[in-house]
Amino acid sequence: MNGRRRLVTLTAAVLLALSVAGLARSVAPGPPSDPTQAVATELRCPACQGESVADSSSPIAVSMRQVITDQLAEGRSPAEIRRWFVQRYGDEVLAQPPLRGTALLLWVVPAVVLLGVGAAALRTLRPRHRPVQRRPSTTDAAPPGGRSARRAWWWAAGGLVALVSTVAVAAGQLARPVADAPAADPAVVAVQLAHDLEGQQRYAAAAEMYREALRDRPDDAIRLRLAFALLRAGDAAAAERTAREVLDHVPDSPDGLLVAGLAQRLTRPEEAPATLRRFLSVAPGHPAGPEVSRLLGS
Amino acid sequence: MLGDLGAASLTAGLVSAVLAVLLWLRVALLGAASRPARLASAGALLAAAAACGLLEAALLAHDFSVRFVAENGGRHVPVYYTITSLWSAMDGSLLLWLLILCGFGALLARRRAPDRLRAYAMVVVSVVTTLFFALSAFAADPFQAVHPVPLDGPGPNPLLQQHPAMGVHPPLLYAGYLGMVVPFALALAAPLAGRAGRDWVRVARPWALAAWATLTAGVAVGAWWSYAVLGWGGYWAWDPVENASLLPWLTATAFLHTSLDGGRSRERWNTTLACGSFLLVLLGTFLTRSGAVASVHAFTESPLGPLLLGFVLLAVLAATVLTGRNRPAAPGAGRAPLLSRRTAVLVNAVLLVTVAAVVLIGTVLPLLTEPLTGARSSVGPGYYQRTAVPLAVVLLLLAGVTPALWVRDRATALRRLALPGIVGLATVAAIGLLSRPGPAVLTAFGAAAFVLTGLLTEVTARRRRPGRAWAAALAHAGLALVAVGVAGSAAYGQADERTVRVGETLRVADVSVRLVSVHRSLDEGRMVVRATTELSGNGTTRTATPALRYDPARDTAVTVPAISSGPRRDTYLTLIAVAEDGGSATLRLAVNPLVGLIWLGGALITVGGLTALAVTARSRRPRRSEPADRREPAGVPA
Repeated sequence: MNGRRRLVTLTAAVLLALSVAGLARSVAPGPPSDPTQAVATELRCPACQGESVADSSSPIAVSMRQVITDQLAEGRSPAEIRRWFVQRYGDEVLAQPPLRGTALLLWVVPAVVLLGVGAAALRTLRPRHRPVQRRPSTTDAAPPGGRSARRAWWWAAGGLVALVSTVAVAAGQLARPVADAPAADPAVVAVQLAHDLEGQQRYAAAAEMYREALRDRPDDAIRLRLAFALLRAGDAAAAERTAREVLDHVPDSPDGLLVAGLAQRLTRPEEAPATLRRFLSVAPGHPAGPEVSRLLGS
Repeated sequence: MLGDLGAASLTAGLVSAVLAVLLWLRVALLGAASRPARLASAGALLAAAAACGLLEAALLAHDFSVRFVAENGGRHVPVYYTITSLWSAMDGSLLLWLLILCGFGALLARRRAPDRLRAYAMVVVSVVTTLFFALSAFAADPFQAVHPVPLDGPGPNPLLQQHPAMGVHPPLLYAGYLGMVVPFALALAAPLAGRAGRDWVRVARPWALAAWATLTAGVAVGAWWSYAVLGWGGYWAWDPVENASLLPWLTATAFLHTSLDGGRSRERWNTTLACGSFLLVLLGTFLTRSGAVASVHAFTESPLGPLLLGFVLLAVLAATVLTGRNRPAAPGAGRAPLLSRRTAVLVNAVLLVTVAAVVLIGTVLPLLTEPLTGARSSVGPGYYQRTAVPLAVVLLLLAGVTPALWVRDRATALRRLALPGIVGLATVAAIGLLSRPGPAVLTAFGAAAFVLTGLLTEVTARRRRPGRAWAAALAHAGLALVAVGVAGSAAYGQADERTVRVGETLRVADVSVRLVSVHRSLDEGRMVVRATTELSGNGTTRTATPALRYDPARDTAVTVPAISSGPRRDTYLTLIAVAEDGGSATLRLAVNPLVGLIWLGGALITVGGLTALAVTARSRRPRRSEPADRREPAGVPA
């Protein structure tokens, strides 16, 4: 018997040592399998609800993943990339809000609960000596019937009627659902992202982002930026189409005329001068004016 | 016509519920006959059933003059999903909610001669019923008339008409939620009912077991559903709606443990946990149905937020006032030894409540932060992985100690733990030296091995009360399997996402997928894009066709992943996007090992709960004829 016990103890000790070794090996981080994915999990997809950039298949998340890959390729560290995103989109882009202010509650509340409930458990398990009150078994709350019971019934009935009326009155005050703005405005984020893409001269991707933004917010300002991006991406026909949509709403939009004219130079060169001249007459002081005059002159 | 009848049935239900409160109060306070009260409760059930039936009839008849049908019905929707669209939006699901609530009320009221405890509990249940009937009748009437009558409706959210689980998951979840109303009502009734109230835990336990088992099944089916539908290959995202279903499950689990053996020495714990479970149900309903927190599951936003918050506060107030009085606790058995059931049950409760606190604060923090900073923040899975997951591993280890708690002397108890302990350590050592899954996963594997081995030795060794032992063993084994599934799929899952041209191949581990063709079609007003692919792995090749569905009526696209499940692993293929010309497609291929164990474990936990319920019911039956006084155990030592 004693020999068996020794054997068991020995086995346990050896296994304990081995499993500690296994745990230690596991704690030391291996090389991350996919660095883009690792950064993306820590970012929140602005257009989705509660999904990370790594999980989401929305266009914004896809291009944010692309941005991460590009920046990693430029040799930036994950921390720098996170900072880059925070600078542009604020703390809300982080899946993990930084630990300050109310976010401290995430750790304080569970700790307080653990201590409080743990103390209660200790009290239950190690009760201090208390004289046990022997209650006669007749101390029933209130015996059935009797005047006080009747009074209680009437009070309760009144309370119930008041409660139901409160619900009825409050229900009348409620507004029917208003389509409220989603979490972080996806259109704003998309425009911001597209702007960044333009900065990196990735105009086709930027145009895609502007289209995404337009779907959420059909706005002429975004449409114009889309038209510029398309023009720079080399898709003059689409750029002109987009500019025309703006000109349909605002016939004298200077930027609309400018893009349309520049696009026409590539698609229908014979119409371009007329459009560009109109641009000059509508907005004589436009920063692009001198350049356009030069183009017309040549 | 249907609309008018429906509105009338809601009014009838409200009136019956109000009458039920008053009549049950007469039974409880004045000792009046219970027949009228039972009739009123039955009337409320009938009205709720009629309202559900009428709305179903309106949905099936495409009666678009009824507001709910105009907003959620559609001629293109298949019959099955037309039936399930009753609970695809707030106002209709409130009717299902009422039906289940009234059903539980009628079950609790079924006795001819209820004691004061049950009478008071029926008062509480009837008040809850009244509040929800009032909510439905005044604030969320699905039967309102629509002018002009539209010709067709958009149908329910496309995500909700994609998987047959839609017919199972919400009703199960609601049944689990609302089952918690009975333990809550009994806990509130106990201090009012005098002597009859002292035994409330024994009365409440079967109800809690039934509700808990149903809730477990509901959560498990929900996880399986989101795995099969949402297309990202996960089953749990720590999303507010998911958290809301987990919260009452955690506290109800704690209650099932503290209420063991009649729970006499843990009166406070039982009361708090029983009340807490239902309060968390109400709070979860408020959080997720008011649009207060953002969620992927927020299919049903409504303006009911303030009213629901009012209900939560009212329930908290009632629970505090009624149960807060310091009742003389039944004297415990003195100091509990460290390795004993009394200690284990309380440690378990402490841990479960702490996990609940973690999940709760993580869920409501965005709600607290927003008014202060103006920014919408969110708490991601990372937080829960650092807090809830380690606590859950400790809980699992605790479940492994159970076999040692049935024996009296310490030496035997420790000997019982020797073999499971060695197996657990061997598992950690073997897996830890062969791969690097991370400390949490490694510990979870070890803990699961510890639990499963312990259970094997326990069920083979023990003779006393075999039914209860089996119930606990099944539930604990299920928990261990879930842990293995979660840990395994998290640590060893692999995925890749890439745009491939037709004929090209995407490879993950030893599985490869070759894009054969992409084709578009119109199916019942929805645009469907299917990618035909050849999936090879394990030496076999078969065709898999993931799809993307676009629903113009709701302007949403839904991915339909192609999943092939095996005992060892699932391959999970999603179509993310296709090129305009159909020449290439973006595919995501994931290999998820051991995921099947999660569903198996969920089923085992549910079966464990049901077994415990059956055992309780059987052990109770012969005693029912005994006079009430005989059942009163000697609470006060002679």
